[in-house]
Amino acid sequence: MSLAPSIDTFLATIEAAAPIAALRDSWIAYPLVNAAHIVGIALLFGAIVPLDLRLIGWRRETESVDRLSRMLLPVAIGGLLIAIPAGLLLFATDARAYAAAPLFQAKMVLIALAVGNALALRRIDWRTTPARGRTAFAGMASMCLWLSVIVCGRLLGYIE
Amino acid sequence: MRQFQVLAAGLLLGAAGAAPVAAHHGWAWATAEEFELSGTVKSVRHGNPHGVMQLSTPSGEWTVEIGQPWRNAQAGLTEQMLRPGTRLLIHGHRSARANERLMKAERIVIAGKSYDLYPDRPS
Repeated sequence: MSLAPSIDTFLATIEAAAPIAALRDSWIAYPLVNAAHIVGIALLFGAIVPLDLRLIGWRRETESVDRLSRMLLPVAIGGLLIAIPAGLLLFATDARAYAAAPLFQAKMVLIALAVGNALALRRIDWRTTPARGRTAFAGMASMCLWLSVIVCGRLLGYIE
Repeated sequence: MRQFQVLAAGLLLGAAGAAPVAAHHGWAWATAEEFELSGTVKSVRHGNPHGVMQLSTPSGEWTVEIGQPWRNAQAGLTEQMLRPGTRLLIHGHRSARANERLMKAERIVIAGKSYDLYPDRPS
């Protein structure tokens, strides 16, 4: 998918910026940023899956959604806040190619859907609302969406 | 569940739509046979995870994967030496997909001088 000329110029400027060029050429910084991206994803996915499983109803007797989310949500959000800047840096090193890649575009849409789903769940007061039905569906959607985000990100590195 | 079906279809379409950023690690995707190719650099992209050149050859345009910056530098190659218009002879391995004009360089020869990206590998 080709990009509009103005976007292309803008992304080329980002690619050419000195810190981004240094990252693209560094033997150590690039893999470290890569590692940070993975750590962020691990925290996010690792925290969100138990929460989603609980929303679906698994082990509902052990802990309330309210208490569980107080523990796991900060970890998931922290993971996202690590994964996003690291991901932006990786994107910037080859911005035009990523932006034009259908898999990358799909990944961004999926992230937006997953975050939107999480924000919608945030609005629910779990102290008064039992987790079943629609919330179970939302938990299932959350797991599927984040898994799809990860798969898209990986395929991006291997499919051409 | 309908949303998921739509999503899955979208993902498959996305995957089929081709991304220009694929990185090939290792050699498992290439044939074991030594391969050589000569041509002229058409365009080149340096940097992590590894450099990629488009090479104009008598058999059409080829994609040649070169090293990440430290490997190219270790071989004695600079970005100046791989500018568009430069004539190159590339030794390495081609993709195991027979119809794919894609190879990974082990050794690059410029004006008769060899630059060995993988000194440990026969090339």
